[in-house]
Amino acid sequence: MGDALATQREGTMLKGFGGSSLRVNLRTGQVQRRPLDPAFARAWLGGRGYVCKVLYDEVPRDADPLGPLNRLVVSPGVMSGNFGPTGSKCCFGAVSPLTGAHGDSTVGGHFGPELKFAGYDLIVFEEIAQGPVYLFVDDDRVELRDASKYWGKGTIEAEEMLKHDLGEDFEIAAIGPAGESMVTFACIGHDFGRQAGRCGVGAVMGSKRLKAIAVRGTRSVPIHDLPGLKELTMGVIKRTSTHPNMAPWQKFGTAMFVGWSNEHGVYPTHNFQTTYFEPYAGIDGQPLVDKLLVSNKACSGCWMNCGKYARVTLPEKPTIHVEGPEYETGSLCGGNCGFDKIEEVAYVNWVCDQTGIDTMSGGGFVAFGMECYEKGFITREQLEGHELRWGSVDDFEHFVDMIVHRRGIGDWFARGIVYAAGQIGHDSIRFTAQVKGQGMSGYDGRGAPAMLLSYMTADIGAHHNRSWTITMDEDLGKAVIKGKAKVVVYLQHIRPFFDVVSCCRLFWGEVDVTVEEHIEAIRLMTGWSDFTLEEAMRLSDRLWNLNRAHFLERNGGPGRKHDYPPARFYEEAVPSGPGKGARLTMEDLDVMLDEYYAARGWSRDGNPSREILEDLGLPETATRLETLDLLGPLMAPLPEVRGERYKPKAF
Amino acid sequence: MKIVLKAGGMLADYLKPDPVTHAREVEAGEGQTLRQILESIGVPPGHVAMAFVDSNIVHLLYVPKEGEVVTLRPPVQGG
Ligand code: SF4
Repeated sequence: MGDALATQREGTMLKGFGGSSLRVNLRTGQVQRRPLDPAFARAWLGGRGYVCKVLYDEVPRDADPLGPLNRLVVSPGVMSGNFGPTGSKCCFGAVSPLTGAHGDSTVGGHFGPELKFAGYDLIVFEEIAQGPVYLFVDDDRVELRDASKYWGKGTIEAEEMLKHDLGEDFEIAAIGPAGESMVTFACIGHDFGRQAGRCGVGAVMGSKRLKAIAVRGTRSVPIHDLPGLKELTMGVIKRTSTHPNMAPWQKFGTAMFVGWSNEHGVYPTHNFQTTYFEPYAGIDGQPLVDKLLVSNKACSGCWMNCGKYARVTLPEKPTIHVEGPEYETGSLCGGNCGFDKIEEVAYVNWVCDQTGIDTMSGGGFVAFGMECYEKGFITREQLEGHELRWGSVDDFEHFVDMIVHRRGIGDWFARGIVYAAGQIGHDSIRFTAQVKGQGMSGYDGRGAPAMLLSYMTADIGAHHNRSWTITMDEDLGKAVIKGKAKVVVYLQHIRPFFDVVSCCRLFWGEVDVTVEEHIEAIRLMTGWSDFTLEEAMRLSDRLWNLNRAHFLERNGGPGRKHDYPPARFYEEAVPSGPGKGARLTMEDLDVMLDEYYAARGWSRDGNPSREILEDLGLPETATRLETLDLLGPLMAPLPEVRGERYKPKAF
Repeated sequence: MKIVLKAGGMLADYLKPDPVTHAREVEAGEGQTLRQILESIGVPPGHVAMAFVDSNIVHLLYVPKEGEVVTLRPPVQGG
């Protein structure tokens, strides 16, 4: 294969890119390598951009997410592997078995850069292999190999074995037993504790019988202006090293947000029943560092090292090592499941990582099971004689085992929380913490309406990485409903942009590296001297509309009906803690949705209009929607600028 | 007594520290909590995600000591 691929290498030598894409047919075993088309590269930039485009163009509308016609798409974007601030990411995407439409999830670590060093910007997996395989990539040598000996192994164990067999310098992305059994919230693990966690991308990988991807790259990525890029990046490193946020960030990572979230009445507790977890001090960043920390851990080229590698010893459990828990795990697998000791949270974090389930959806879905058990909707008999109590590590571990191996009611949960609620009955759907089937991130939106709107409207379901607004909700007032939607739109363009170019958005968020500096870095990498922030944001807008169209085409319309959260989030008031009394109504949600759709140039029904799609260069998408009667009329004049940057009052 | 507050990002717009050292010396009353000190100089405590003394987390009810350096950080972008 290597020689054939080498001769196919046409050497366009696009600056900033690996230069090639791979298309792998898992059924036939055929691997095709193509040079990256420069026009495609500029139009979609990579990462999430390529993923969106490939999924929209290639996956038929009625294709089963776990069937042969779905694609698994892997792409490190333009900044990945380049000496910028900081290109460590890689995007995995597929039509999601959780939401039924476009799904993507970005992982840090070293996998994306390694793919770029091997010369690849995009891998598209098609069809289903006859038996377990893994993709071996060693620069130009690319082959599918038998993965029988790794099948059935935990994610971390499989990574260890592959590194042992191939060499330490291979970077591995692998699934665990949950991915193999197509649990709809299975993740893809990498670097012993980092995950492309959301949207069930691991389930799609498992459905294709693809256990792992192993890659080694020994080339460098061609850079247009290396001295200029070096100067910019060194300046950023120097400046941010003394930033006041840097030292706490390096010491605690995101785990330090547990206390803040709790004090501000947004911390999900006992399946989002309330927003205050009294014993939170036991699972905050401080005990993580004081009791469990082995070392800090960083992604490729990162000087912020937010990863916390921990060693955990619990009575009657094996001693384990785990990266984390970071904030999302510390909330959804923390107070949300009733765990009040950092050792417990870290241990269940490891259970999720090893079996290969997303700690966010996993923690949220198990917490839902715990509330059902508490209410008597799930019986001990259904739990194989076990219980499912708040704060019980044994119960959590046993229930996850039922899910991963699809035993009894474990199979209901493996299919997703909406399916499980349907089987459990008792109107339990009303207290599922999800939108569009995707489990909510670790913030309760009742105390932060714009955050709830962010969940409601996110293209992949209730995930915070698209828009996070709690600072604004605090600043403008937690009870304020109007005037926030435009900011949600702005954030939905800026935050996922980092997943397009595959760099870590935390530098922007935490230590004031500006978006303009990222844009300048891309200019220096690629030589696109006319590349602007406006072009970048326009791409983000285009991707958002493309994903909305994708969602509607696959799930039907009108869009609005998919955008409401379960009843708990607009009927129940928060019962305790600093957020006590926070409550939203259906009318509040409608006000926010109306504002949001107008800001996007969509119809009152939440369907994109022809005007917006044509404005974004997507006329074929407008026609596709029109054919399905899913195109909406504009409800207000097309906004020239979609979204509005939020400036705190003090500005 | 005097203490030193340090902050960057959005909080710097409230605290108005030295642009290079990110620090500002402020006057604080004996026994005042961090929350009270912040309110007295116009920094909204709601914008302080957490505070650190000697790289350890302290909370808004913490009472700083004379000469102590307290680093504040905003909940900027939510991970
Ligand atoms: S800040 Fe954390 S997530 Fe971001 S690149 Fe560094 S180690 Fe990775």
